Amino acid sequence: MNAAWLPLMTLATSLFAAVAIFSLPEEARRVRTSINLLAAVSKIVLVTLMVGRVSEGYEDTFSFQIVGGVDFVLRADALGVMFAGLSSLLWLCTTIYAIGYLEGAANRKRFFGFFSLCVTSTLGIALSGNLFTFLIFYEMLTLSTYPLVVHSGTAKALAAGRVYLRYTLTAGVVLLLGVVLLYSLTNDHSFASEQGLSPYLDDHRGLLTLIFALLVGGLAVKAAMVPLHGWLPRAMVAPAPVSALLHAVAVVKAGAFGILRVIYDLYGIELSVELGVTTVLAIAASITIIYGSLRAIAQEELKPRLAFSTISQVSYVVLGVSLFGPFGTIGALAHLLHQGLMKVTLFFCAGNYAEELGIHRIDEMDGAGKRMPLTSFAFTVGALGMIGLPPIAGFITKWYLGIGAIQAEMYWVVAVLVASSTLNAIYFLPILHRLWFREGPAHGKGQWPKEQRLGRLETHGWLLWPAVFTAVISIGAGLLAGLPFSPLDWATRVAVGEYLP
Amino acid sequence: MSSLLLAVALLWPLVVAGSTVWCAYQVPAHQRNYVSMLWVSAAWPALLLAYVGEFQWTINAWMLGGYWELNALSRPWLAFTALLWSIAAFHARGYFAGEQRQAQAGDANAQRRLQRLTLFWPLTLLGNLLLIIAQDIASFYLGFALMTFAAYALVVHNGSPAATLGAKAYLVLAVIGEGLILGGFLWAAGTSDTLTLKGVRDTLASADHGVWMALLLWLGLGVKAGVIGLHVWLPLAHPVAPAPASAVLSGAMIKAGLLGWLNVLPLGAQGLSPEMTQLGNIILVAGFAAAFGAALYGVWQQHPKAVLAYSSISQMGMLTALVGVGLVTPSVWATLLPAVILFAGHHALAKGALFMGTSVSEHMPKWPSPLLFLLIALPGISLTGALAAGMFSKWGVKHALYEFEQERIILLLTWAAIGTAALVTACVWRQWQQRHQGGSDSFQWGAWLVALLAALVTPLWLPLPEASVIAPPLKEWVGIIWPFPVGVLSVVVLMLALRRSAISPPPSGDLWWVYSPVAIICISTARSVAGLCGKGKATSVALALKSERAVMGGLLRGLQAEAWMRQHGGGLMMALAVLLALLLMWEGL
Repeated sequence: MNAAWLPLMTLATSLFAAVAIFSLPEEARRVRTSINLLAAVSKIVLVTLMVGRVSEGYEDTFSFQIVGGVDFVLRADALGVMFAGLSSLLWLCTTIYAIGYLEGAANRKRFFGFFSLCVTSTLGIALSGNLFTFLIFYEMLTLSTYPLVVHSGTAKALAAGRVYLRYTLTAGVVLLLGVVLLYSLTNDHSFASEQGLSPYLDDHRGLLTLIFALLVGGLAVKAAMVPLHGWLPRAMVAPAPVSALLHAVAVVKAGAFGILRVIYDLYGIELSVELGVTTVLAIAASITIIYGSLRAIAQEELKPRLAFSTISQVSYVVLGVSLFGPFGTIGALAHLLHQGLMKVTLFFCAGNYAEELGIHRIDEMDGAGKRMPLTSFAFTVGALGMIGLPPIAGFITKWYLGIGAIQAEMYWVVAVLVASSTLNAIYFLPILHRLWFREGPAHGKGQWPKEQRLGRLETHGWLLWPAVFTAVISIGAGLLAGLPFSPLDWATRVAVGEYLP
Repeated sequence: MSSLLLAVALLWPLVVAGSTVWCAYQVPAHQRNYVSMLWVSAAWPALLLAYVGEFQWTINAWMLGGYWELNALSRPWLAFTALLWSIAAFHARGYFAGEQRQAQAGDANAQRRLQRLTLFWPLTLLGNLLLIIAQDIASFYLGFALMTFAAYALVVHNGSPAATLGAKAYLVLAVIGEGLILGGFLWAAGTSDTLTLKGVRDTLASADHGVWMALLLWLGLGVKAGVIGLHVWLPLAHPVAPAPASAVLSGAMIKAGLLGWLNVLPLGAQGLSPEMTQLGNIILVAGFAAAFGAALYGVWQQHPKAVLAYSSISQMGMLTALVGVGLVTPSVWATLLPAVILFAGHHALAKGALFMGTSVSEHMPKWPSPLLFLLIALPGISLTGALAAGMFSKWGVKHALYEFEQERIILLLTWAAIGTAALVTACVWRQWQQRHQGGSDSFQWGAWLVALLAALVTPLWLPLPEASVIAPPLKEWVGIIWPFPVGVLSVVVLMLALRRSAISPPPSGDLWWVYSPVAIICISTARSVAGLCGKGKATSVALALKSERAVMGGLLRGLQAEAWMRQHGGGLMMALAVLLALLLMWEGL
């Protein structure tokens, strides 16, 4: 039985929300909020249904032909549903956060409209069943995030938006070139083909490598791999919920997810190893990991430091993919979820500090733990998770990646992981020290840059609870990783069921 | 029943931590009781658990799969750890009484310090308990990390510059240690696809690169255990921490590294590779180097707690050497292990009592001074082996080594005991010089007396295997006792000889003062390299922009030329036609 409506409806909820929001007037705050929340919750319900269907062994597919040989396909396979689950859960959190964050700000209609479009694109990327559909949503994501990045409309934001468009549109062209070349070679784009591209290996080795380079090169821009990462730290001018979404699910993850699709579903992991591209990818990912961490140490502002941390952390996913073997694969897939949870927490907290106390620089954070204990708790959880300390989710993925590296006999990768953990500690522990162990305005020394009392609690409740929620989930995902349907469990299911020989 | 008790033992510290947070928000400051009896009770369920018996638990939902065990090793370990934590908590109730009064009187700083300490104390305890019962890697690593990072708050407690430095040294080395441990565990676990400590141990014994994994784990865990070279945080952190915190740091937490070694190093395994034996020799040498070096350096320290910190390094050096023996001569290990546990348990309580003693001599109760200082010295004398439990523990080690004819090691251990005696003498001497009357509290000296008593009778309460504690025969007594008077005499002679000379004491933290300038130079070099890279990048970006502008300029000029040509297309075509016609005409001429 094929429930074709299910992936379509999942995609449609946020699309409908976008249309409805654009057609509402700017002042209709309550209706907009209700639509937003309703869409987010119903999307979670639909994704939960899909999770159930996939674990029963169905792969619901929706497809129609556009022109001869080119199909639009949405398919709910295990990997796609995993990413869809992450994005729908975090969409709900981010929506709640954004409603609190933009309270009383201008242009909320534009913001939430594009926000919903952005989520639609992410969902489309997750559920697309062939490269063509993927490409459509991938480009749509680029265009729908641009208004979000430049939301504040300042000269700096517009400049950042220009840089963002330059990078991503160029990458889109490169990607398109790869897609066209691949199509001319095989006449097929589906992610579901059993044998991948291995029949072409003997005759078209060079071409296959070229296509791989084009596809992954195009995707690596969004995944912010060094040296294609330049847009990400600049895009930090975006409002906090946008940064959170950009870093945790939407843009950088779309790139990483695309690389997963290309390697696992298009080429097949064995063919990729055969071509020798995985080693190159592992080296590139390692360079990114170390470089991102080193640059993060040098940052003096909170959000850019988190941005460079993202550059470093997202490459863990790529690193895991390039370690041929069960543990690397599971680590990569689980990190897709874990990093999302932890990073969204960190950005929520960064936004809270900025909104409530006007803190942007790290040296302004002294003693903020006393003033904002729950936010600081959530930040601490996220930071320790990034370092890879148990019991937070980051430890689980670091462990699987390390084991995967050893089993692939790439011992230097373990050194990279350990070095990265240490570097993470070097740039996160001082922040935690400032939060909890230094005296600041909360102890009567100096003043916060711009304090506002947004709520009865330490800050506005809509800002606070999403951060606390994602922090608790991050702990739960690590502490109870052995439970069924935990991120690790699902990643194992995907890896064992689909991609491992 | 045991599972319930286990759950209570692990959750109780969390409850206590939660209650301190609750109090911070719900109880007005002048009524807040930071070191309440609830807080003191944090380690009691764990202590009870240690005496229930040996058990195993498997929890599949827990991280990578939880496997916890109370066995012949972890049970006595849990017993002495939980006991020391309980006693230290009682001591803390007295020790912090003054600070609590300040806090209740409205001193915001005291409030903040106590709040922090009382929150992190049970968390540190929880980590320590978890790492003892854990037999799977993830739980052990979790316990170790929790203990390590939470203890930062205990070290930094008083917030003085010295405390900040000590805490910094502690944290820097802890991060390095965590990295090494993670590397070692990943390597071993990846090689043989195991998740338990026992699996790691088997891998280390049999795998090709086993010796490198063992080296990583030895060094990583050695940060905590004070292996020479990595020990620098101990003399910086211990003197500045409050006495009860130093007691658990030096008594219980320092042993976590040792427990880790006992769990993961293939001690006593037959058929070890020659490289592993070589590593064993290195461990042996490092252990004795620490044992002697710390004694020679420590006697010069001014602060009694710094002397005690060096004494801990020295004692841990002896234990390290015994671990080395387990690799070099595996057959000894089965007999040696109970002796090592007894040694560790006795040292834990004795060192705890000595550290608590430093706070007693700063706030002397109105007892006759000779009696008080005799009591202060007692656990130290026991550590040298001249008394009570110390004799049993020394003899346990010697007995096992005698059986396998390790005379050289026995001799070295005996000499090291002279160092112990010298350090104890120096410590008591410094305490005597810096003694203060008044401000004593019954919890403070009461807990100290209990710790002292527990240290002296360690073999009676430590749940060791049957018949593993052997009383030393009378004819061996001289051989065990003589280092004590020799050590005391050597210090006395030294003090008398140097009475008039004005030699400034070497700074505590010894090698730290070498490491930190080196690190600073490295960092500044890295900075300047990074600066150069940044400049290089800026120049290349400028260059690229320049060339882009040049190319764009060229293109623009091309466009302009094209536009000009478009505009003058007609005329140009005419000119071309005329030219062609002229050419044709010339051809025809």
